[in-house]
Amino acid sequence: MYIYRLVFLLVLAIYIFSPNILDWWVTLGNAWYSPYLIWAGLIAMGFWLEWRRDPNEF
Amino acid sequence: MSFSLPSLLLVSLLYLSFLFALAHMTDRGMIPHQWVRSPLVYVLSLGVYAGIWAIYGAVGMAADSGFGFLAYYLGISGAFLLAPVLLNPIMRIGRAYQLTSLADVFAFRYRSQWAGTLVTLCSGAAILSLLSMQIKAVSTSVTLLSPGASPQLASVLFSLTVVLFAVLFGARRDQGSDSHHGLVLAVAFDSLIKLGAILLLGAITLISVFGGLDGLDAWLKGYSGQIGALEARINDGSWRALMLMSFAGALVLPHMYHMTFSENPSPRAMARASWGLPLYLLLLALPVPVILWGGIRLAVDMPPNFFALGVAMALDRPALTLLMYIAGMSAASGLMIVSTLALAGMVLNHVVLPLRTPRDQDDIYRWLRWVKRVLIAIIIFAALLFHEVIGKHLDLSILGALSLTGLLQLLPGALGIIYWPEGNRRGLIAGLVTGTLTWTLTLVLPFSHAGHLPVWLQLPLAPDNANWYIFTFVSLALNVVVFTVVSVVSVTTKDESSAAQACSMGALSRPQRRELLATSSDDFIKQLAEPLGKNVSHREIERARNQLKLPAVEYRPYQLRRLRDQVEINLSGLLGPSVARDMVKRHLGYKPMAGSGTAQDIQYVERALGDYQNQLTGLAGELDNLRRHYRQTLQNLPIPACSVGDDGEILMWNHAMEDLTRIAAEDVVGARLLALPEHWHLLLDDFVNGPDLHRYKHRLDLGGRPHWLNLHKSTLSGPEHSEGGSIILVEDQTETRLLEDELMHSERLASVGRLAAGVAHEVGNPVTGISSLAQNLKLETDDVNILDTANQIQQQTRRISTILQSLMNFARTGNHAQANRYEPVIIRRCVDESINLLSLSDKGRNILYQNECPESLTVLGDEQRLVQVFVNLLANARDASPDGGRIVIGGNREGYSAIIEVLDAGGGIPEDQLDHIFEPFYTTKEANQGTGLGLSLVYSIIEEHYGNIQVESPAGPQSEQGTCVRLRLPAYEADTEMAGVNPNQRF
Repeated sequence: MYIYRLVFLLVLAIYIFSPNILDWWVTLGNAWYSPYLIWAGLIAMGFWLEWRRDPNEF
Repeated sequence: MSFSLPSLLLVSLLYLSFLFALAHMTDRGMIPHQWVRSPLVYVLSLGVYAGIWAIYGAVGMAADSGFGFLAYYLGISGAFLLAPVLLNPIMRIGRAYQLTSLADVFAFRYRSQWAGTLVTLCSGAAILSLLSMQIKAVSTSVTLLSPGASPQLASVLFSLTVVLFAVLFGARRDQGSDSHHGLVLAVAFDSLIKLGAILLLGAITLISVFGGLDGLDAWLKGYSGQIGALEARINDGSWRALMLMSFAGALVLPHMYHMTFSENPSPRAMARASWGLPLYLLLLALPVPVILWGGIRLAVDMPPNFFALGVAMALDRPALTLLMYIAGMSAASGLMIVSTLALAGMVLNHVVLPLRTPRDQDDIYRWLRWVKRVLIAIIIFAALLFHEVIGKHLDLSILGALSLTGLLQLLPGALGIIYWPEGNRRGLIAGLVTGTLTWTLTLVLPFSHAGHLPVWLQLPLAPDNANWYIFTFVSLALNVVVFTVVSVVSVTTKDESSAAQACSMGALSRPQRRELLATSSDDFIKQLAEPLGKNVSHREIERARNQLKLPAVEYRPYQLRRLRDQVEINLSGLLGPSVARDMVKRHLGYKPMAGSGTAQDIQYVERALGDYQNQLTGLAGELDNLRRHYRQTLQNLPIPACSVGDDGEILMWNHAMEDLTRIAAEDVVGARLLALPEHWHLLLDDFVNGPDLHRYKHRLDLGGRPHWLNLHKSTLSGPEHSEGGSIILVEDQTETRLLEDELMHSERLASVGRLAAGVAHEVGNPVTGISSLAQNLKLETDDVNILDTANQIQQQTRRISTILQSLMNFARTGNHAQANRYEPVIIRRCVDESINLLSLSDKGRNILYQNECPESLTVLGDEQRLVQVFVNLLANARDASPDGGRIVIGGNREGYSAIIEVLDAGGGIPEDQLDHIFEPFYTTKEANQGTGLGLSLVYSIIEEHYGNIQVESPAGPQSEQGTCVRLRLPAYEADTEMAGVNPNQRF
């Protein structure tokens, strides 16, 4: 269960700080589509994790 | 630009009919199965989540709160990215126990019908608002496109259309055994249209309105006025609330649960969806700001929610406008159909069936189908009513927030299923009631103007469009606190604990081994016929039996327990888990427990662990390997072993036991000792229940042959084995016992031999006397008659002496303690002596022995042992020969070998026996006729003499009978260089 607690903590932290992260990212003066880049990065990470997942893992 | 209401209605009907035709073709198998079940279709079908938000709501919210609209997509994206730890466990439980809705999962996990009913009511109440949001969006879009149309009429027509298609689409599955493939493909197509339409509109807006990305950038920089709220700071509260609700949506939205879990084609599809759905939603969200800015730039005179239509109209593109309308209508109808279907299933299982279980129905499946259809209609009309009374006055985003806040109340219980086994039904119900009440009082009633509790209570805060999220968090927090406190304080039942264990992450259920009232699968049919009717009962038991691949009539307790579980799982898919559990509990009951506790079902756990093998990692995997190692050790133990539970159920039956008993483990493991063949049952039952821990040389006749068995028992009771039971070792002592018998027999024979030698010696003296007297008589008379008589007396006494000498020689043989004395032996003499010995026997008086061995044929060996060889060979030949038969003993030299052949004219030896004749104790003679040791002895003596033996039967290629035994021994050469050496020194 250790790994799940860590995941839970990480998710909670991302959840709590997500508005601040997005605000900061937008106020940097990036292009209007920049929030989508973070999102696309997350998807790429999800794809990579799924791709290299051992079929025996949970 | 405007469209007439009938034309819009016609377009809607045509589009939905096309979707229905698509679904129908899929269900008829006209579309390749691998396409329908492909992960892409699954991912697209999950796009049902977006609903009307994809086309209308997102642009409206972007106008109000900038990038805050992304929260609605990001939350569920997070849930899917966390699928391995969030969705997969739920999918595992749902698949294992055929739980088709969240209410089923709650009722199963919290072992409470109330939990299921409450979840259903809560979902039903909350979903009305979401359905109203869809109706409002479609009716508003119709009035925008066809300004004269009545919104009420549009709402009613749209609702009727949805009822029609929901009834047509759903409620077609009758046994919970198949998925709605057609529906899935239709919804996936819906999602594709949504995505295509919004991307097309975005692209056209970007190019036609702004002239590309650079133009858009330039416009954004140059435009000093309002460019939407995209530069504004995100409202933290509403963002977090929307994120959380969207995250929870993956689990608690009825349509999402249905699409994600019930229609999931494979775990692989779920793995693809973990990034596929976020990607789909990203693409769906990408054009939203562009459409918003396009609407602002084109000064569209519409609420921002409907900029998708407004921009297309402002660009004067009727086809695009119609496409956007279809996309919106299709998104709304897709969400409504799926969520209504899912909710109808929940209401059926958790409200209707607990109140009225169908009895005496001719066809229960048909009854269920009709009830579901009626429920679909009721739900959609309830949503229409809600919309007309309350929903149409509220903003789309508020309708969404109301619905999602209500459904959010299910999140604590849902997470508790996987991560908090200590949570119990009291806590869940208390928390859920608290949360739902708070939601109703602080959000639903104030927004519907039915009652304004915060105002009445003169609270400093009253809910409005800007601060609704505070009440979302308040209701959720109260729910969590009450759930936790009540769960910790109250007692959890044993039943609930075991269900919690079964649902926990990585846990296995540990069922108990109890005896069922039913003793066979036929009893199951009779017992279930009471609630289900004979036909349905028979059909359900057959189905479960086929799924488990059990024989036509099953009687093994372990398999009956499996059958019971499978029946419960199948009925759960049909009637919901609570009704199924009650029905199975009541009608397929266990016998009352005799002792204080019952044993774990070892077979069940073993099987479950076996199924689980490739999922066990780390320590659990290592422990499982260890378990397998010890299990294999027991299974491959060369001593027959079995273990028996206290209730007489066979728990283990190893390979050696299978070989000994010729009963496969598959047939008896999980059965009672009673199920064994009678002789084994009597022996093992008596031994298990008896006081002795050991039993020696128990005789048991198996396959017509006696077997002697040693049995050893060890009881498994003790502090670590409270369930008791015993392990039994069975040693097969048959070979040892036969050898012992033979040894005793040989010893007796040896005594007889010694006695015979003694008698021969004693008889020899008087015979010598008689011979001497006859000699004297010959000297004292010249009478020819008397001389003749004296000669005859001497001849007879010589014969007696020869016989006695042979007897004494034979008695001397077989003394293995003595070293063999090798000396030249004339074969012919050996054969003659053997013939003499055999002629003493009463048997075979009429057999003619013909010794054709040449005098010169000599071998080096022990004469007496070679005589023993010929006695055995000739005795066998004699026994096989017919009366008056002839036995020929021939001999010759072939190089350095002496070949001796014993040829008889008997019946021969069957081919299948030829391989066994030299085995000890192998005999085809009757019990008191032979020991089966003769040829074995011959073989070993010939081996000792460095020779070999061959048997041919029939004796020659021409003849069809007779046996020829051919001995090949090293020939003795008197004049070789070895001749001068004492032969015994060579060995």
